Amino acid sequence: MSNKWIIAFYVLPALLLIGIFIFIPLALSGYYGFMDWDGIGAMTFIGLENYTAALQDVKFWDSAWHSFLLAIFSTLSLLIYLAIALILASKIKGSDLLRKIYLIPMLLSSVAIAQLWIKIYNPTSGMLNQILLKIGVENPPAWLAETSIVLYAIFIPILWQYAGFYILIYYAALKNIPDSIIEAARIDGASPVQIALRIKLPLIMGIVKVTIVLAVVGSLKYFDLIYVMTGGGPNSASEVMASYMYKLAFDTNNFGYGSAIGFLLLIITLVVTYIVRKLTATKEEIQY
Amino acid sequence: MKQKKAITLLFALFLSILVIAGCSNSDKEKASGSGDSGDEKTIKFMHLWPEGSSKTHYTIVEEIISNFENENPGVNVEVEVLSNEQYKDKIKVLSTSNELPDVGMTWAAGYLTPYVDGKKFTPLDDILQSDLKDSFVPGTAEAYAIDGKTYGLPLELNIATIFYNKAIFDEYGLEAPKTYDEFKNVIKTLSDNGVAPIALGNKDRWTGSLWYMYLADRIGGADVLTSAINRSGTFEDPALVSAAKEIQNMVDMNAFVKGFNGLADEEAKSMFMNSQAAMYLIGSWDLPNFTTNEDIPKEFRDSIGFFNFPTVDGKGELTSHVGGPGVGLFVSEDSDVKEEAKKFVSYFVKAWGEKSVTQAGVIPATKLDASSLELPQMYIDVLNELSNATNITLFADVQMSPEVAEVHLTQIQALFGKEATPEDFAKKHEEALSAQ
Amino acid sequence: MKRLGSFLLYLSLALVAIFQIFPIVWLFLFSLKDNREIFSGDPFALPSQFRWENYTKVWEGGIGIYFWNSVWITALAILFTVLFASMATFAITRMKWKLSKLVLGLCMVGMMIPIHSSIIPLFKMFLNVNLIDSPWSIVITYTAYNLPITIMILLGFYYTLPREIEEAAIIDGCSVPQMFFRIILPMTIPVMSTTVIINMIYNWNEFVFVNTFISSDHYKTLTVGIQNFIGQYMTDWGAIGATLVISVLPILLAFIFFSNKVVEGLSSSAVKG
Repeated sequence: MSNKWIIAFYVLPALLLIGIFIFIPLALSGYYGFMDWDGIGAMTFIGLENYTAALQDVKFWDSAWHSFLLAIFSTLSLLIYLAIALILASKIKGSDLLRKIYLIPMLLSSVAIAQLWIKIYNPTSGMLNQILLKIGVENPPAWLAETSIVLYAIFIPILWQYAGFYILIYYAALKNIPDSIIEAARIDGASPVQIALRIKLPLIMGIVKVTIVLAVVGSLKYFDLIYVMTGGGPNSASEVMASYMYKLAFDTNNFGYGSAIGFLLLIITLVVTYIVRKLTATKEEIQY
Repeated sequence: MKQKKAITLLFALFLSILVIAGCSNSDKEKASGSGDSGDEKTIKFMHLWPEGSSKTHYTIVEEIISNFENENPGVNVEVEVLSNEQYKDKIKVLSTSNELPDVGMTWAAGYLTPYVDGKKFTPLDDILQSDLKDSFVPGTAEAYAIDGKTYGLPLELNIATIFYNKAIFDEYGLEAPKTYDEFKNVIKTLSDNGVAPIALGNKDRWTGSLWYMYLADRIGGADVLTSAINRSGTFEDPALVSAAKEIQNMVDMNAFVKGFNGLADEEAKSMFMNSQAAMYLIGSWDLPNFTTNEDIPKEFRDSIGFFNFPTVDGKGELTSHVGGPGVGLFVSEDSDVKEEAKKFVSYFVKAWGEKSVTQAGVIPATKLDASSLELPQMYIDVLNELSNATNITLFADVQMSPEVAEVHLTQIQALFGKEATPEDFAKKHEEALSAQ
Repeated sequence: MKRLGSFLLYLSLALVAIFQIFPIVWLFLFSLKDNREIFSGDPFALPSQFRWENYTKVWEGGIGIYFWNSVWITALAILFTVLFASMATFAITRMKWKLSKLVLGLCMVGMMIPIHSSIIPLFKMFLNVNLIDSPWSIVITYTAYNLPITIMILLGFYYTLPREIEEAAIIDGCSVPQMFFRIILPMTIPVMSTTVIINMIYNWNEFVFVNTFISSDHYKTLTVGIQNFIGQYMTDWGAIGATLVISVLPILLAFIFFSNKVVEGLSSSAVKG
């Protein structure tokens, strides 16, 4: 099966769409990065100036660090999602209903999730501080106002928002394992925990690696909730790469510089993804 | 067999959707055809008052448009409405492709400058000198002037004043303060009694900027901030530094609600509206909430008063305000229907001036004969303040170029959060201002 | 001991369930309040007065047409995405050719682009081909931007498909398209359902592209309906809540439907057949 035409027939639709509508804009935005352009008047070519400025921009590196922290937390939380998916897939009573319930937050748009968490975090009337006051914590923090905690406070809704997404993928992967394999292990006297760790987990390792990449990439370009809930503040304490780029391009009319930052974001993501792939690489994909 | 059925079904669905999509695509042909086709001329107009949130504004705009179309046969106005943030983003994208609407909304000074430098907006001095001669409040249209030409015509005029809850003030035997010492005493009394003195939503940052601007105005006089921004002065002026110090003193006195740096203006406003905080510094655009808005309990509306920012140690004038014109109309330089668009703008400004205050509670930038209108007392008071004003300093973030404004706003959050010293605060501003 | 263990397990599962279900309850209560109630006090307090008028307000705001646009744009984009992604993944994993790694690499890079840096170039492109203010610009954009992630998810599953079935099919004289449409696709119904759910959520809630590319009211989608209630100085949060409830219902139903497919699919598929 190596007929070129057949391969072209299967690959071209996707490849053309991605090439035209993702890579041409990408090339254009890299090109704008070489320009001094406010997005309104004329462009002037300034070579690598934007890129060198970005490399020395403390605010950019701070935002990159924040994005990087988000990537670490998202990757670590995959373990929790994986555990939940393993429990749900192990045919316990009510797992079907539970699974559907667990995925509900994923359905809501970021607008709704941001409003919900803004209300939970409200320093005086918010649910979180009300509970803390009741259990005797004096003067609980103003979660979104303090520069030392705002970043972590905002990670929680982001992780929560994406929990359903990963649980869904893991669950589908687990359901894809033929029953016969698990049946065989059970007959051999393996406990449910053993089956989960020794048999199921290795079989879905391929998809676990994919989700690690998804989590890292998704975190590094994350924007939505941060923009709505804190606007990157206070005093840039929760600024991430994408929100910084947006501010430069759309709020301060620094379109050339913003494009350069966007391009650097891509390069950083590429490098990190490459490292992640190397770290998780195994010699062969698991086969049945 | 079952699978085959499923796949066939899938493709049937796919095809039927294509057909439907095809149908809905065909009525686009009819709808499009902008610019001038034959004798018909179409003016594209973008504004930011959606029907859902700004019903009264929206209705006036619709009325004005239909009257204009009736009086000018052969001219159509095609409207697109977006919310504030989305409007700004879309204008940005449209300008990169030279696709600005014929008529749209703009902000003054700093926002306007790049569009004028990029030759996107057309000067409107001809209609300002003829049709609209002497109709604007002095100083309002000027905020849209660059190098002697006017590129926007303002629709609103606002000043910021401190609104306060009389019921709370009465409870603690307080009165509207005239001096800064009295003001600090009010803050202290309220704070000692466990009442949050001032509602402030500093996530939005321009809200904190209002407080800073007033302190700068009172301590250093009406010109100190403006001249620092237009580079005839410096931001390291002692008055601007001590205004920053005073902000941090207020923070230390617990003058502002808890967690103000993480609250949106809207959340702070609702605290004030729910009597959870006693004072609130905001522009006069919020007047309807304290006067005519039927959704808010009458009892609350009746208990609200306002006072001017007090004088500090005998310095400053009570009649000097922070404020200025809000959105204004521009006409695109590349418009195919420039003459019609200008005519529409002129018509719009006049009609808006007649209707806006009575129908929507908006104080227009055009001159008003307040005595001939029936208005709530608070409107009359604010209009009096406006006509007695000795100075109106334009909002700092509007005066500054977008880049410097971003520095200013970030520094405001840092100052209020005590992450920047007053000296650093001034220094960062000076650096940003001298860099441009 | 074992009973205690399972009791604790169920207890924690139930706690998580409460944590996950409460946003829906909150959203519903939210949609029946006005701004004063929304911003003050307990988000789970019953509204003092059930403001159903939030819903009528939203409905009169012309949400019907937005709703329909959301449905067909979302559905069409999902169809294209899942079909093209399945085809590409099939070719990448099941056929031997030199450039397959490169194509895969391109897909990965395609996932990494922040939308705000592509929005202005995309606008210019659509303007050139006269697709601005056409729903097709939205369908195409959604399809293109969801392809990489869809391919990535499918990939992990395609690698685990047993090769014996294909070999048997070839021996039986199946052509490649027959094998793909009759054997591979049905086998991947669970994972296709997964990607359908993910695509559906993305497309349904997306608004940056719609706001930028569409200006006529009759092509806008539900997320834009929310914008209608965000004002320059005042925002009607109750109405936004009502819009959100209306918009979450169909996606909730569709979600339950496809969520069942994630499980059902396999039992009817060729693996067991």
